[in-house]
Amino acid sequence: MTISAAAVAVEIDGKCLLNDVPLCIEPGQIIAVVGPNGAGKSTLIAAIAGDITPTEGIIRHHDNDLQTLSFLDRAAIRSVMAQSQSVVYDFSVLDIIAMGWVRGRDGESARQFGAAVSAIVEECAIAELLGRTFNSLSGGEQRRVHFARALMQLWRPRGSANSAYLLLDEPTANLGLAHEVRLLKKLTALAADGIGILLVVHDLNIAAKFADKIALLHSGRMTCIGAPKDVLTAERLSKVFEIPISIDPNPLTIKYY
Amino acid sequence: MNTSNPQAGHLNALTTRQTRALFGLIVTTLVAAAVACASGSFDISLWALLKGNASALEQSVFNQIRVPRVLLSGLVGASLGLSGAALQGLFRNPLADPGLIGVSAGAALGAALIIVLGSQFAVGATLGAFLLPVAAISGAALVILLLYIMTRGFGYQGVTYMLLVGIAVNALASVGIGVLTYISDDAELRSLTFWSMGSFGGVTWPLLVPALLAITVALLMMAPAARALDLLQLGEVEASRLGVDIVRLRYRVIFSAAAAVGASVSLSGMIGFVGLIVPHLVRLIGGVNHRYLLPGSALAGAGLLISADLLARTLIQPAELPVGLITSAVGSPFFLWLIFRMQKL
Repeated sequence: MTISAAAVAVEIDGKCLLNDVPLCIEPGQIIAVVGPNGAGKSTLIAAIAGDITPTEGIIRHHDNDLQTLSFLDRAAIRSVMAQSQSVVYDFSVLDIIAMGWVRGRDGESARQFGAAVSAIVEECAIAELLGRTFNSLSGGEQRRVHFARALMQLWRPRGSANSAYLLLDEPTANLGLAHEVRLLKKLTALAADGIGILLVVHDLNIAAKFADKIALLHSGRMTCIGAPKDVLTAERLSKVFEIPISIDPNPLTIKYY
Repeated sequence: MNTSNPQAGHLNALTTRQTRALFGLIVTTLVAAAVACASGSFDISLWALLKGNASALEQSVFNQIRVPRVLLSGLVGASLGLSGAALQGLFRNPLADPGLIGVSAGAALGAALIIVLGSQFAVGATLGAFLLPVAAISGAALVILLLYIMTRGFGYQGVTYMLLVGIAVNALASVGIGVLTYISDDAELRSLTFWSMGSFGGVTWPLLVPALLAITVALLMMAPAARALDLLQLGEVEASRLGVDIVRLRYRVIFSAAAAVGASVSLSGMIGFVGLIVPHLVRLIGGVNHRYLLPGSALAGAGLLISADLLARTLIQPAELPVGLITSAVGSPFFLWLIFRMQKL
């Protein structure tokens, strides 16, 4: 029961954005995708999510070829928090969060909805935003609401055997420090509950601190994937990011986490 | 419903405000319908009718003239309001309106073709009644197909792009109607002119039935799209990540909008701005969720057109104004106000 990509290549308008990329996300695992701008990080998320069809290779969700799964099946397996969205009409924050509910609308699942909303609103500390319209929120507040919506989509009754996955593209952009820490802690807790997580981050420190595995992308290729200490070497990072990077195991450590 | 949890009902239920709004709209529409059935150049006492002591003349005016007319104006209003709401949702464009984006004009051209050239085809009267709506629906569908191509599959291209396409389509359609006007004989010209100004006059039951069918089917098809239309407001990619099959949603909304608008135009001509104003008013009253907006727009559209038609036939009695004139008189200032308010877009 994993999400996996084998030899995935994506070509758009004759430009090769991803080439021969392998990846496997297991339940409970956090994989951070890092790499310079234009490395193909967002394309990788989009391909894994099923937004774009790979030109070559195959993506499997729970052993099924992603292309054979219906949109609803996919929505039940993975949830995506994207970089930014605009909403045309004045939906309330609660409306937006409720949009994440993909578990059916009658009987038992409708009853679970209320419990899920209360729990998630509390975890994300967005109770004070609930009554407002989404468009009146700041960028950071909108991202917190989108995160809550992504959690709604992942929500499962306790003890449910089905594994689920969360894909995040730059989840900490625009977030204040406190909310960034809260989000990262929540990701760790989700992983402990068996959710597989793939996140794109710019901050290598966050990647090193929170990920079980780091996937280093460079010009559409997976340069290296493995444990943070193996992937994040000064020599490799300097080469990929084209600036001298040194790694210093904590002289003065400021810990927020 | 879980009382300790105020959000629990939010999944399916309408808010109290939305329930009240819908209830108010139902009452208003029914009252408007009752008044419209009773008044006109010949006043009927509904009370006498109910008690069964109305004159034979009153009976027949009520059954053969008023009821079909009020029913038709209500149905046309409902389909224009609902189509406007659904198209504004589908295109994520608050200025989408079947009239402004050219869909009504396409339907009008299709209908005009039949009005002018229809006599060339020797078809029976029953079949003829179906021919007009079918031609109008095809015209509407053709325009929507053109919009589809112009926006590369209804991709979001900004609010104004589709309106510009609409201007061009409207111009093209009026060329077609102009040519038809030129080649039509006196009788055809008369019916074309009256029809194109938009009117509910001259409706009879046999004319009403095919369009009634088309409109009802369209309304029923639109209803289950409410949640998908909500999700679509997050963007197409986000909606598909949440399980919406965008392609199927488009077909559903577009086919039913074409059917509803086409059938409406075939019976009553082009009635502008209803599809634009109504969803905005309904949003102002009770919010933006489509599970409320779709039925609300259908009701408000019905109420609005029943009232507009009542005005059209009572303001200068015994003569009659085209109802399209009244909706445009109300709608165009509203449109200007919308543009003024939306300058930032």
